[in-house]
Amino acid sequence: MNLFASKDNLIRWLDSLLAERIVIAPVRGQEQTVFQPISKVEEIAFDFDNTTLSPKGWFLPPTETLFSVQRDDGRVELVPTLVEQDAVLFGLHPCDAKGIALMDKPFLQDPGDALYRERRTRTALIGLACRQALPECFCTSMGSAPDDPSNVDILLTEVEDGYIVQVVTEKGKALLPQGLVEYKGKVPPPPKPQAVLIKEVISAMGELFNDPYWEQLGDRCLHCNICAYVCPTCYCFDMRDYSDKGKVERVRSWESCQSRGFSLTAGGYDPRTTKGERLRQRFYHKLLYFPEQFQDVACVGCGRCVRDCPVNIDIREVISDLQQVMEAKSGS
Amino acid sequence: MELIQQIRDKARSLLEEGTVEGVIGYERASDGVTARPFFAYKPSVTERLIFDETCAHNLVKYLLDKKGKKMAVVVKPCDSRAINLLLNEGQIERDKVFIIGVGCPGMVETSWNYKSETLQAKCRSCQLSKPLVYDFLAGGELERQAEEETYSDIAQAEAESLATRREFWLEQFSRCIRCYACRQVCPGCYCPVCFAERLEPLWVGIRIAPEENELWQTIRTFHLAGRCIGCNECERVCPVDIPLSLLNRKLEKDVKELFAFQAGLDADEPPPFATFKKEEKLEFGE
Amino acid sequence: MSVEYQPKVIGFLCNWCSYAGADMAGTSRMGYPQNIRIIRVPCSGRVDPLLVLKCFQRGADGVLVSGCHPGDCHYTEGNYHTRRRFALLREFLDYLGIAKERLKVEWVSASEGQRFAELVSDFTAELTKLGPRSKV
Repeated sequence: MNLFASKDNLIRWLDSLLAERIVIAPVRGQEQTVFQPISKVEEIAFDFDNTTLSPKGWFLPPTETLFSVQRDDGRVELVPTLVEQDAVLFGLHPCDAKGIALMDKPFLQDPGDALYRERRTRTALIGLACRQALPECFCTSMGSAPDDPSNVDILLTEVEDGYIVQVVTEKGKALLPQGLVEYKGKVPPPPKPQAVLIKEVISAMGELFNDPYWEQLGDRCLHCNICAYVCPTCYCFDMRDYSDKGKVERVRSWESCQSRGFSLTAGGYDPRTTKGERLRQRFYHKLLYFPEQFQDVACVGCGRCVRDCPVNIDIREVISDLQQVMEAKSGS
Repeated sequence: MELIQQIRDKARSLLEEGTVEGVIGYERASDGVTARPFFAYKPSVTERLIFDETCAHNLVKYLLDKKGKKMAVVVKPCDSRAINLLLNEGQIERDKVFIIGVGCPGMVETSWNYKSETLQAKCRSCQLSKPLVYDFLAGGELERQAEEETYSDIAQAEAESLATRREFWLEQFSRCIRCYACRQVCPGCYCPVCFAERLEPLWVGIRIAPEENELWQTIRTFHLAGRCIGCNECERVCPVDIPLSLLNRKLEKDVKELFAFQAGLDADEPPPFATFKKEEKLEFGE
Repeated sequence: MSVEYQPKVIGFLCNWCSYAGADMAGTSRMGYPQNIRIIRVPCSGRVDPLLVLKCFQRGADGVLVSGCHPGDCHYTEGNYHTRRRFALLREFLDYLGIAKERLKVEWVSASEGQRFAELVSDFTAELTKLGPRSKV
């Protein structure tokens, strides 16, 4: 059964959630909208296309101290980072929710990442269905949809004077305020993003590993980390210990396979020295290795990399290029 | 169309004759609106080359990935300053580059799938009608209606109070996610191991936080003092819209005032921090 | 009893002139504030502007860079480079919101012990008035 919340209902509901939890929501900055913890419900941007950075940063922050070790009077103390409060991640689109579900696979796989698991357990997801598909969106080709409720606890869909409230999980049900009435109106049809044909490509990728296509594509790649950092599913990180005045902190920060030193091993060997090899790695991880391990493609079709790559390396184009390369190779 | 045809014809003949191994130019991006870098290695693909007001990318950086190979590159007047810089610093050899110069009408602000009518700030004050160095000039010179460079944006920032400036920069640096796109796109940033990636000495580390970000941004800017040629690619590619031109142009202005030097105008002029004048006092007396 | 603010000052002194000058201040029992922590470098020209920026990031309230008088550099021209670099850096620091008065560049010779002591006293007094560097 769908419920209905007027805009006022929603504001009051969020106010009450904010009283007891951290609420992370889209906030409009100077020129961009980003997910961040809010102090007032008025800060939330309800009408946005999609944020610059995905909300994965709540579960895997760009930088965090995993724990610190302090030495005091001869005693050595390990101080773990604790998750202090319950949270609500509000306003994420289904593509981003799928991104979190994909990140769950490596991070919650036994034994799992303690901090990630704790945050994930204590954070509820209230998603927002999309009103429009942007030219760069292709979620329906990647196992999601503008109105897909599968990976959130509650899904909101905007209608004329409020929101349809679809309760998906028990966790979501527990968050509901009192007094929401049943929604009896029509559910607006979801927008239709572009389609990208991907299945054949994935099965052929094993044969395309050594194809010169990758060096050619790699020519224009700048090997910055933009694509990986804006991506809802990329999760590589670097970890280092820093000591200062008797205290050691283990810091974890985002990193990506695109940087030159990423795969450099102690001893100096680097299996990915050329630009094409580094660029290829990202596509292979997302489209082949991750599916082999976790049975799902590590791309949700949010289009952020397409939008933000300074040299227009477009994953949709890469997929269709690979199909052509495949056809040419099989002697068609 | 005439200009574009000249670029294509020149690229084709250079490849057909084997004068160069590849041509670095621009082609239409996948949005059908903006441009992206394009590497042509065969004469048949030179038909994909374009040139218009969306071709903002500074292609000179790519020459550093192709050392030892003779390449042709399409170069706007601002990009040609990067050529001079890299020649000056011994990073490229003049006889390994065939420069296809173009007179430039100015580039407009673009983003994915969007082309505005507004000229980029750096283009508004550009007076160069053709590149400073080239082997072939496609389309001829293009007289510019340029505003005078007054550094008014810098002067405005300088006029604010110290505390306002501090707050402003900390807010900007707090948004930085250390993607290093600014460094990767910059023709002046080519160190095999960047200071930010060194563990010994540990200048910055991996923590992404305002303090470390400030060190990253300010040191990178200072490493470009007297070397930044003003292509503004760093600001254009920044995914979180940090106003990097307010940093680089401040140093550009000060270097001009203190040492009467501008980077990239002359491939032979010694850079300001490799020389000195015994008699100059600057602000330290004596 | 209130704790007065004590500025933290880092001083980069060149081995041949200013460090020797500081040494002379010490051996002649000329007092100067303990706020300064001295780092000996071969030449003021060795002082990388990054080191100064790093000092400020790590909590220094003031930085002193001191070398031989121009024309007297032990390595002939090191301090000419120092001059150019720090002329630019002082302006840049101020632009970033770090008062340029917090970076002092002075020329002190090996025989100028008195001058060194006065210099450090004055600098410490100025920094005390300026107050602590605002933290991130």
